[in-house]
Amino acid sequence: MLLGATAIEDKLQQGVPETIALLTLANIKIWVLTGDKQETAVNIGYSCKMLTDDMTEVFIVTGHTVLEVREELRKAREKMVDSRTVGNGFTYQEKLSSSKLTSVLEAVAGEYALVINGHSLAHALEADMELEFLETACACKAVICCRVTPLQKAQVVELVKKYKKAVTLAIGDGANDVSMIKTAHIGVGISGQEGIQAVLASDYSFSQFKFLQRLLLVHGRWSYLRMCKFLCYFFYKNFAFTMVHFWFGFFCGFSAQTVYDQYFITLYNIVYTSLPVLAMGVFDQDVPEQRSMEYPKLYEPGQLNLLFNKREFFICIAQGIYTSVLMFFIPYGVFAEATRDDGTQLADYQSFAVTVATSWPSLQPLAVYFAILFAMHSNGLFDMFPNQFRFVGNAQNTLAQPTVWLTIALTTVVCVMPVVAFRFLRLSLKPDLSDTLVRKKQKAQHRCMRRVGRTGSRRSGYAFSHQEGFGELIMSGKNMRLSSLALSGFTARSSSSWIESLRRKKSDSASSPSGGTDKPLKG
Amino acid sequence: MTWSATARGAHQPDNTAFTQQRLPAWQPLLSASITLPLFFCAGLAFIGLGLGLYYSSNGIVELEHDYTGDAGSSNCSVCAAEGQGRAPPPPCSCAWYFSLHELFPGPVYLYYELSSFYQNNRRYGVSRDDAQLSGLPSALRQPANECAPYQRSATGLPIAPCGAIANSLFNDTFSLWHQHQPAGPYVEVPLDRAAIAWWTDYHVKFRNPPLVNGSLALAFRGTAPPPNWPRPVYELSADPNNTGFVNQDFVVWMRTAALPTFRKLYARIRQGDYSAGLPRGAYRVNISYNYPVRAFGGHKLLIFSNISWMGGKNPFLGIAYLVVGALCILVGFAMLVVYIRYQDQTDDDDDDE
Repeated sequence: MLLGATAIEDKLQQGVPETIALLTLANIKIWVLTGDKQETAVNIGYSCKMLTDDMTEVFIVTGHTVLEVREELRKAREKMVDSRTVGNGFTYQEKLSSSKLTSVLEAVAGEYALVINGHSLAHALEADMELEFLETACACKAVICCRVTPLQKAQVVELVKKYKKAVTLAIGDGANDVSMIKTAHIGVGISGQEGIQAVLASDYSFSQFKFLQRLLLVHGRWSYLRMCKFLCYFFYKNFAFTMVHFWFGFFCGFSAQTVYDQYFITLYNIVYTSLPVLAMGVFDQDVPEQRSMEYPKLYEPGQLNLLFNKREFFICIAQGIYTSVLMFFIPYGVFAEATRDDGTQLADYQSFAVTVATSWPSLQPLAVYFAILFAMHSNGLFDMFPNQFRFVGNAQNTLAQPTVWLTIALTTVVCVMPVVAFRFLRLSLKPDLSDTLVRKKQKAQHRCMRRVGRTGSRRSGYAFSHQEGFGELIMSGKNMRLSSLALSGFTARSSSSWIESLRRKKSDSASSPSGGTDKPLKG
Repeated sequence: MTWSATARGAHQPDNTAFTQQRLPAWQPLLSASITLPLFFCAGLAFIGLGLGLYYSSNGIVELEHDYTGDAGSSNCSVCAAEGQGRAPPPPCSCAWYFSLHELFPGPVYLYYELSSFYQNNRRYGVSRDDAQLSGLPSALRQPANECAPYQRSATGLPIAPCGAIANSLFNDTFSLWHQHQPAGPYVEVPLDRAAIAWWTDYHVKFRNPPLVNGSLALAFRGTAPPPNWPRPVYELSADPNNTGFVNQDFVVWMRTAALPTFRKLYARIRQGDYSAGLPRGAYRVNISYNYPVRAFGGHKLLIFSNISWMGGKNPFLGIAYLVVGALCILVGFAMLVVYIRYQDQTDDDDDDE
């Protein structure tokens, strides 16, 4: 007689399927490594939409020996390759070079998933088979590893790190996830029911899985963008600043004479150009944050290293050189034959220095610059330290000359205009996603991305048993004896239709994907 | 260990707009309606400015003469030949004759120009002691180490003013003579040698040490002039207001030039009959040729020029503005073409989505 039933509720957090869907759209591959048993893991997979009914096939690898695992992996690859109708038959050898595999498996048609057990994983992670396993797994859209020990979790992460040029992020909430979190490039701990071991070992921690999408798509993306812009800007300003001395060398007998006042050089990086660069590195946003979440495709430049690579570096160096050429040669051309408006000397070294220093196009907070300039060139400081403050009288004498201001204006405009022109042309001819988004910010918000996340009114995600499970087995009485009274009482309820539908399903369903669930439940 | 709500609060990051990336931002849009007018306006403004500058510069009259004395080029080749290889070169005078067919509008400025003279050399540029030049008595007899080897004289006396810049003071002198009528007498044209340096220079930066018993010579007692100088610093000029460290020529020379070819003001011509300019007639410039430049391939020039609001003759700025303005307009047109061609394409894309 049925005394009772126990059920364990392990709710999915709110927003998990939406997060996974969004991150998949952002070209992030998601693998599940869990210590749960296979059925639980598969149910969770269906529940959070990693596995779907539309998938072409879900491969289950549960071999107990090396040969069995190899065979199962080989079969999985065959099926994936066959779907592409690759005509040329090529025999599978024991050891396959990674390049051949990658080229074939990268473009499989259809969606596949791989579910692998812990004991099979132990064989698959052996040195001679790990590459094969990795390629097969990477060809699948979703990978679920169940019954995985903490060490194996770390080993899987290590495997991906070693062979794939990819950045790995491991997110977990329990003590058994700590090794995985520490192995991955980025470790995220979820503080919650299972304690804080994961949090203590992680780089980032938050309380809900759904915050991962904001972490990656907003904070992470902007962090990458800002870092790249900051680096480019930093190299540019220092290159331009220093190359001016290179050009001046040709005209000062290569005697290493500086073009600028010594105090300008000292304060250049610390005071004059620090604030704008820092402000850009901390506050810059290319699209508003809502757009970042709505369009996960914006995440791609970071993954492909598009914003700071060798090419971008050389572009910013070239810009620095171009700026330095203008910054030196325009004042040079003017000062070659210049005099002040009262006839006295204008083309002296100190005036040249002040002119070139003031020409820095919008790289410095002007008020700070002029305040310091006039202070350094003041009489008071000269009286105190004549040998340290030699530029006395320069600020007011040089900056009162219209020629100097015309030179500065010309230099500024010629430095800035080409950049503006390039940006405009690039916007017109080859706009990238963020440019298009900024341009269309008045258009309707609801785009197809939103439809993916069915922000359900459900407050929690239950992992429904996707297969029939053991209900029928129990009810059949094979495991326990049921009195007919209890059975009749049970069937009197509306759930009789449930059993009928189950029976129908069992006869209708095709070959069950799992091979082992028909074993009687033990323990 | 359970994770209580209160313990969590202690570690929670701030929920401010700054830490949670919720700051409002403005994304500047380089749209055509902003960029194209900007380019065209800037281009037109620059072209206008360039034309004004160019014509202003063209209106300036300039007359120059190279008196270095290369063989056959001028009267001063005799002096140059005499001075070859002798240091110091022997005193020599030569003259430059020229005539003006029309009035040289004034006020007229007389410059000397040197070429291939690297006053911007680093070692040369630091070879001075500004504390000494500012008249501090303590620094007068302790010249700075940067002045070496012009720090102390052969007899061990401190050099005032010390340093290579002071030592290489330009010492050619000029006088201008005007012949009203052909075959008539030459009348000297008064050259105004006052205020040829920056006001801040000869009032703040350069000051004589305090007079001793009313005498500047006594103030400089115990110091020696630089090796190349024929006379000590307090005898640079007969005018007591223009001698010592505040001598105008000295101050002008000490303001080192930025480039190897530079000109420095020598005198203004604006007194008496010549305040409106130099009238037509024949002129002679008497040059006392002292300064040796041929050893390093340099040249000495004498220049008469007048001045406008933007200084002397300087066509570079006008031409630069014209070029940049033209480029702006050209690029503006190119961008307009691109915009018109690709705008239709972008509009179609927008409608399709």
